[in-house]
Amino acid sequence: MKEYLENINKAFESKARLGIMSILIVNESVDFVTLKNLLDLTDGNLASHTRSLEELGYIQCQKQFIGRRPNTTFSITQKGREAFTKHLNALEEFLRKQNI
Amino acid sequence: MKNKEALDTLHDIKELMEKSTKFMSISGVSAVLVGIYACIGTGLAYFILNEQNSFDTLCNIPLLNINTTYQLALICLIALGVLTLSLFTTFTMSYQKAKKGYRNIFKDKSVHRLLWNFFLPLLAGGILCFSLIWQQHYGLTSSIMLIFYGLSLVNCSKYTYSDIRYLGYAEILLGLVDSFVITHALLFWGIGFGLLHIAAGIYFYYKVEHKQYPARP
Repeated sequence: MKEYLENINKAFESKARLGIMSILIVNESVDFVTLKNLLDLTDGNLASHTRSLEELGYIQCQKQFIGRRPNTTFSITQKGREAFTKHLNALEEFLRKQNI
Repeated sequence: MKNKEALDTLHDIKELMEKSTKFMSISGVSAVLVGIYACIGTGLAYFILNEQNSFDTLCNIPLLNINTTYQLALICLIALGVLTLSLFTTFTMSYQKAKKGYRNIFKDKSVHRLLWNFFLPLLAGGILCFSLIWQQHYGLTSSIMLIFYGLSLVNCSKYTYSDIRYLGYAEILLGLVDSFVITHALLFWGIGFGLLHIAAGIYFYYKVEHKQYPARP
């Protein structure tokens, strides 16, 4: 039981972070507002989750200006892609073992 | 961690992946309406172009005679009218449906991708049709319209409900059959843009739209 629970990543235990990773893994890049609307989070809440994922090196952000408005877009890193895939596989493995 | 928790998590992940890449606010009712417009358009074209004939041609399969520029202009006008009305209806109904889900369809990247992939083959086909009409080769216009419309649907099915591609396959097949049959363009046009849309819209309304969010296990 223990060896596949090891692969369940603590960083993705929060629903918001899991959501951020799920969206970023299937999209090239997503901007802050779209992410906020899709996940139904507040500005501050999303910002703190993206910051912690960025510190882990799972996502990267790009800040730019469109006209005078700041625009932040996020994309997944190679490290994040590997970590999230591993997490998903662990979840599936867990379910498979449970169902036997 | 319990079994149900893990299942719910995977369900949430899948839903978010779909929601962020696909535009799901398309309504089956708009497809039915588009089909009805096309049927009315076909009927109008048939009655106007055959007005000099007697009523017993009603039982025959409609044939198109385009002999004068007046008739050509009329049939182009009907086709453009049906197209405009259809696009307007689809956009308005999708906009209304998207607004219920709190999505701004003008800023949504999935909408941009959907529109680009839908209109690229459609525009190419439209320009080709225009060029054929310009050179007075009327024979293949209806089959080209059907084929390119089918390709558009297949092409954009990746960015919305994937079932839409079956309608695309049907349109392509019908267009190809049409290209072998020399006459009866109006009949094929009516089947492809009218009846197929109505059938697809009804299927979509009952089988897909009302099963969008199934209860969780």
